[in-house]
Amino acid sequence: MIQLQKISKHYPVGFGKNEILKDVDLTIEEGEFVSIMGPSGSGKSTLLHILGLLEEPSAGQYLFQGERVDKMNEKKRTQLHRGAIGFVFQAYHLIDELTVYENIETPLLYKSLSGSERKSKVADVLDRFNMVAKKDLFPNQLSGGQQQLVGIARAIVAEPRVILADEPTGNLHSDQAKVIMELFKQLNEQDKITIIQVTHSDLNATYGNRIIQIRDGHIQG
Amino acid sequence: MFTSYLKIAWRNLWKQKMFAAVNMTGMSIAICAALLLSLTAYHEWSYDNFQENRDHVYQLYRQDNTSKGVRVNKSFSEPMAGVLQKEVPGVKRVSRIAGGDMPVRYKDKNIYLDVEMVDAAFLQMFSFPLQKGNQQTALGSLDQLVLTQKTAEVLFHQENPVGKAVEVKIGDNWKPFVVSAVTDNIPDNSSITFEALARFENVEDYSNIRDNWNVSSYPLMVQVEPALDAAAFNKSLLPVAHKYLADLISSLKSTGGIPDKDGELLRINSIALKDVHLSPYSTFGSGLRSFYPWMMLMLAGLIIGIACINFINLSIARSFTRGSEIGLRKALGAMDRQLMLQFWSEAFLLCFVSLIVSLLLAVVLLPYYNATFQHQLSFQLFHNGWIVLGTALGFFLVTLLAGGYPAWKIARVNIIQVLKGKLSLNRGSGVRNGLIVFQFMVAALLISCTAVVWQQMNFIRATPLGYNTAQVISIPADNASPQSRIAFRNKVASEPSVESVTGSILNLGIGKDGSSGNWTRGFDYKGGHLNTQCIVVDYDYAKTLDLKLVAGRDFSRQYGTDSAGVVINEQLARQLNEKEPLGVILNPGGQPYHVIGVVKDYHFESLHKKIEPLMITMDPQSRMNYLFVKVNTNHPAAAMERITAIWKEVNPLAKNDPGFLDENTDRMYRQESRFSKIFMSGAVLAIVISCMGLFAIAVLVMAQRRKEIGIRKVLGASVGSIVMLLSRDFLKLVLIAVLVATPISWYLMQRWLNGFAFHVEIHWWLFASVCLLAVVIALATTSLQTVRAALSNPADSLKID
Repeated sequence: MIQLQKISKHYPVGFGKNEILKDVDLTIEEGEFVSIMGPSGSGKSTLLHILGLLEEPSAGQYLFQGERVDKMNEKKRTQLHRGAIGFVFQAYHLIDELTVYENIETPLLYKSLSGSERKSKVADVLDRFNMVAKKDLFPNQLSGGQQQLVGIARAIVAEPRVILADEPTGNLHSDQAKVIMELFKQLNEQDKITIIQVTHSDLNATYGNRIIQIRDGHIQG
Repeated sequence: MFTSYLKIAWRNLWKQKMFAAVNMTGMSIAICAALLLSLTAYHEWSYDNFQENRDHVYQLYRQDNTSKGVRVNKSFSEPMAGVLQKEVPGVKRVSRIAGGDMPVRYKDKNIYLDVEMVDAAFLQMFSFPLQKGNQQTALGSLDQLVLTQKTAEVLFHQENPVGKAVEVKIGDNWKPFVVSAVTDNIPDNSSITFEALARFENVEDYSNIRDNWNVSSYPLMVQVEPALDAAAFNKSLLPVAHKYLADLISSLKSTGGIPDKDGELLRINSIALKDVHLSPYSTFGSGLRSFYPWMMLMLAGLIIGIACINFINLSIARSFTRGSEIGLRKALGAMDRQLMLQFWSEAFLLCFVSLIVSLLLAVVLLPYYNATFQHQLSFQLFHNGWIVLGTALGFFLVTLLAGGYPAWKIARVNIIQVLKGKLSLNRGSGVRNGLIVFQFMVAALLISCTAVVWQQMNFIRATPLGYNTAQVISIPADNASPQSRIAFRNKVASEPSVESVTGSILNLGIGKDGSSGNWTRGFDYKGGHLNTQCIVVDYDYAKTLDLKLVAGRDFSRQYGTDSAGVVINEQLARQLNEKEPLGVILNPGGQPYHVIGVVKDYHFESLHKKIEPLMITMDPQSRMNYLFVKVNTNHPAAAMERITAIWKEVNPLAKNDPGFLDENTDRMYRQESRFSKIFMSGAVLAIVISCMGLFAIAVLVMAQRRKEIGIRKVLGASVGSIVMLLSRDFLKLVLIAVLVATPISWYLMQRWLNGFAFHVEIHWWLFASVCLLAVVIALATTSLQTVRAALSNPADSLKID
């Protein structure tokens, strides 16, 4: 499903450049649950951003579902963001001005679904996450764990093929983290959604079926 | 989608009430001001638009190229009209226009009407449609009178006015007229106004001016064939000038007139009716200069610009706090233009609310606006589709400017940086600072202009004019008969507060009748040619007005021959170049006058002009258009009341009230005082809106620098030093703004002041104080925030991250 071939990423620093990723080759099959691990500054977040088409690689090829996406134009990239890729962030990144319901609805608005379709999809997701009672609350009225649940609900409502999660439990305590990780496992096993998460926690990494270690921009082993 | 944007926009506004309030108040005030100003400009430009022949009807004026520059004369002699009609090809119709306020009586009703004496073609030249009567014959005979609908209603109520006999008092005689037609009311944007029309031959002095090429007393309007353009028309007037004004041309030649580039000493030029309103050379002009509507528009633009800058700065600054929302939306699949649309729609919402508020505000303020600036605006103007369209378009542009730039900037930010929360306020502060500088530059410009205008107005009021303005009451005589003038003199003389009474054919300043004039005569003296202004006065003129005689004496009843005497001013005495001017014989108009006195120069005209030569002759039998009464009392209001009562008693037909001369002289500077009021209001608005913006920016910057301030305090910085540090950035901007504004305002004001022969000098300390003022205002605005930030407990600010 995802194929990275000799992907590099560097930023200009002064007259030189700061290499973040060097010649990364990586293949992820459909239905995998992959955890990317590594120390701070090793390039794991950058790798995730490249996988999510939020950043362009400086060199190398990226094939998503067999298609070259590393040099895609904005319009096509946006199409992938709307349909195929869902994001979950460490800091949740919910829109403070919108209610739970409206936050979950937002990606569907960008997909230009009809009102009734949106309604039924959001209702399904709310139902599944047991959040129907909270649908009219604003993010700041929720606990961190609940906010992240909303974040995940928002990520899956558009029925993506892959979810990219950047330390999804980083701001949560262990009980909440466990709930979230169970949810990811369930999404992976029941809904067959490919999940790629960046994590520091060995425990979280065990929920997945493959671990990628990254160090100084290189994939280890 | 759009409803979702609006929802977010609305909730955002609620959440950030302070910013919303600053933006909306600023915008509302600005839009309201801009609306009123642009409506005013539009109104000035719309003058005479309703005239179908506005492109083909011209007012003529004569331009003499004298040795001292161009002299313009707006009046022509009586036979000129006939000559043009006969001898100039392409001339279709001609009309002279004379007249003024005259009493009109019908049965026992007696009212003053503005009766204009015109030629028969008038109704065909100008678009004043008739409601009743026949356009071809309405002014066919000399005893016909045309009324406007309004005056017909006042005079006849429900009766049919056509065919009714009325009388008009022209000069000292009542003349019978028959109402022949009724016109629609005159649009308020008409340069030519009247309440009644009669034939030109009815003018009081018709027997004197008829076929007389030596007297030029009335303006002349000409309609030409549409094929003839202004330049060609002006050219075809040259032969007429050469043929009929040869005397004038030769006198110009003999006095050293400087010919123009075509070798002409005298030209007859034309002003198209559509340009008459803003033309300085037209009798029917408003006295407004043509840059005035432009100035209004510029001021409107500046004020809107300042409000837009607030909007832009605040939107950008605030959007950084919404960084995660922007980044997230991008990750969820929002295109750049969708984000732009979202942020623009927020701006639109805010601007739209402001527009509504400003419209309400404008409706409420309009009467005060009209009263303060002497405009006659009404919201009738909105019946004009173009204005509505223009307003809508202008509004759309404002939202595009105010919302578009921030939206564009926001939509382009790097998604990774916002998601990581690395976006900082310091990015793009160059633009922000530039915009703040611009705001304060405009404010400083308006403050210094206001200051100069204000100084000049004070200077004008304080300059001794050379005659007594505080104690002298001027009374427009309004067609009073000689008997009633004599009766008034006798009655007033017995009042204890009255010191003396006199009369003159011309007023000083502009009285409540709103008219002013001058009379210039030329005569030969010892081989040279002199031009001088003239007035004819009654006994006691110098005494009543406290004029100082530097030589000789005033007119006196003890000398029987004083009607052959003349008092001249120092300026004329200098031009005579005589060692002893007393006893010199002057021959204006072929009649000898001997100089009996020299009066110290006084400003008988406005301070726009240098003091010109003046000769004062005395003729108690002459028609005194204005009476002057000097009172000596501690209760001027009571004296004024008493004199008004006496005047009304002897002349019940009097239309205009007496007034003190200082009011008259003030009236000469109406344009300037209107000017200064507009500047002042503009300056205040600019300052207030700029300060609101500065305040809000200060709030944001303080929030941004909370942590830095905390660290500095922990490291031992004092409150004072932190306030200094924080204020410095803002002060720097204000100082730059003042520095940029200074030369611009100096240049503009120097040009304005050059319009006055007597004016104040612009001093450096003016700009220094403007600078100080701007700094103080900026400091006061930001200090609330800086001091609060400096006093805050560092523990609070450092805990956050």
